[in-house]
Amino acid sequence: MNDTAAEAGRLAVWVGLRKAWAVSSKDMRIYYFQPAVLIFGLVFPVAIFFAFMIGRDVDAVSLFPGLIALTLFFSTTTVAPFSVPWEKMNRTFERLLFAPLSMSEAVLGKVISAFLFGLVVSIFPLLIGIIFFGSSIEDWAALVLGLFLGSLCMATMGMLVSTVRADTPPKVMMVLNVVRLPLMFMSGIFIAIPTLPYYGRVIAWFSPVSYCTDLFYRGLGFRDYFGLLTSVLMLIAFTAAMFFASVLRMRAWNR
Amino acid sequence: MNTSIEVNGLTKYYGQLLAVDRVSFEVETGEIFGFLGPNGAGKTTTLRMLTNLTRPSEGSALILGMDTVRDSLRIKSVVGIVPEASNVFNELTTVSNLTFTGALYGMRRGQRAGRAAELTGLFDLEAHRNRKAAELSLGLKRRLTIAMSLMHRPSVVFLDEPTSGLDVESSRLIRDIVRDLHRNGVTVFITTHNMEEANQLCHRIAVIDHGNLIAVDTPERLKQAATEAQAVEVAFDRNLDPGEEEALSRLPCVSELRALGDKYRLIASDPPCVLEAIYPFMNERGLKPVSLNTFGPSLEDVFVKLTGKGKEQPANE
Ligand SMILES: Nc1ncnc2c1ncn2[C@@H]1O[C@H](COP(=O)(O)OP(=O)(O)OP(=O)(O)O)[C@@H](O)[C@H]1O
Ligand SMILES: [Mg+2]
Repeated sequence: MNDTAAEAGRLAVWVGLRKAWAVSSKDMRIYYFQPAVLIFGLVFPVAIFFAFMIGRDVDAVSLFPGLIALTLFFSTTTVAPFSVPWEKMNRTFERLLFAPLSMSEAVLGKVISAFLFGLVVSIFPLLIGIIFFGSSIEDWAALVLGLFLGSLCMATMGMLVSTVRADTPPKVMMVLNVVRLPLMFMSGIFIAIPTLPYYGRVIAWFSPVSYCTDLFYRGLGFRDYFGLLTSVLMLIAFTAAMFFASVLRMRAWNR
Repeated sequence: MNTSIEVNGLTKYYGQLLAVDRVSFEVETGEIFGFLGPNGAGKTTTLRMLTNLTRPSEGSALILGMDTVRDSLRIKSVVGIVPEASNVFNELTTVSNLTFTGALYGMRRGQRAGRAAELTGLFDLEAHRNRKAAELSLGLKRRLTIAMSLMHRPSVVFLDEPTSGLDVESSRLIRDIVRDLHRNGVTVFITTHNMEEANQLCHRIAVIDHGNLIAVDTPERLKQAATEAQAVEVAFDRNLDPGEEEALSRLPCVSELRALGDKYRLIASDPPCVLEAIYPFMNERGLKPVSLNTFGPSLEDVFVKLTGKGKEQPANE
């Protein structure tokens, strides 16, 4: 009896995941190649990064953890703030709810598509660092956890931002950038957290991006600040909290 | 189970505005149930409450015995929804719209492809199967929207003005499909402000106005409620002078005379009685009829009578 209940539970989870995956794969087809997503998610971080780096007298290798974090941050957070308001505006988000799809499944679908986008995109700066600038992976666990948990966490952040009460994608994009720019400076992207002044290190605790950046520094053989366990736990905690908040906000939107 | 939809005192407030006022009715399994009312009557709001897209302020509804709010996910897997606006995914092709919808219902890949092919055939969309939905005309999008609602073979289908804005041919196709659904035992809940459509399609009609349910009955019985609204329409070979018009209006059984262009409409509850009197009237004055028609009560008359409204609803089509 208990076995069949557990079986049914597993089945429900599996069916739910398949539905969420349907949403993600549809989003990938539709939104990855939208000009706005490509510009804000790809061109933007690279341009910002080089703008800050020009004229700074540092070893190029030491920049790559920050560059990867910035790319991951911008690419993952761009997808949902584009697709969610777009689908609300065209009333296609509602269409997802015509089907037996819970709000968590719908939100998960949105998060997964952003997660994969960030994962794929941030492989590029990593490869460039390794091939052309002699970056080397010293701690695989930190790097892989940073990529996966970081991408998941920031995809969820993008999802949460996309629930703001703004009706069009450009307005949500604006809100997104208002959130992103300060975070960019709080998270050890341009200067590694251990070398930040005291108040900078304190502020870094409040940005989920910090933990991801810190994991990349560690992964590529630089000194980290939080340590592997703290970073991993904080990323999981931020992800869970933001996911939960997103689902609640989407439910409220749907009344 | 005989009742598919059971509505108990469903009420919706938008702030101060009472959009739907304690509406109760039942829809039997396998019937085509029309929800007829003018713009702003509360049709869409009722449909959205029944499909749990909007929370009722008060009251409740059961679909196939399940509560629309508490069992909403279970209900959604057996219910098809066609919204007022055709919200297809513009970036996807016709076929992808269908297969994606199937995926949301947990259908397997092979199943989805088969069902999508079946529906593109049924809805005459084959020539457009690989076009992006953004390129489809209004009518094609409407058909696609309805096709999407049928992907998972629902046993109850809600359609919000499925034919509004469509040409005669598309409307007919959609009506035929709705009749097919009925033949397959599907329960259909359809909102419309088109009386003729309700008349042709529905087994029973609920008339709603200002959020109030005014009547629920078969089209024929609703029409009987307006027998006094029958009429005889006559056109003569020359114009009548005022004295003759006066005499015409005082023929036996005529309750009202209306001049309509080159015709006269004689409102009467008993048209044959008017016909008996109108020939002597013409013979005495040397008039010849150019045309002479009798009209039974139309649903529109019923509607006007029930809602106490003038003809502000042009029956479009
Ligand atoms: N989201 C909303 N917020 C506030 N008021 C609303 C909302 N939706 C509908 N209303 C109001 O509720 C009333 C009923 O609207 P509803 O859309 O249900 O009418 P309807 O019968 O579907 O009309 P139509 O034939 O124009 O589609 C209207 O007065 C409308 O203005
Ligand atoms: Mg409506």
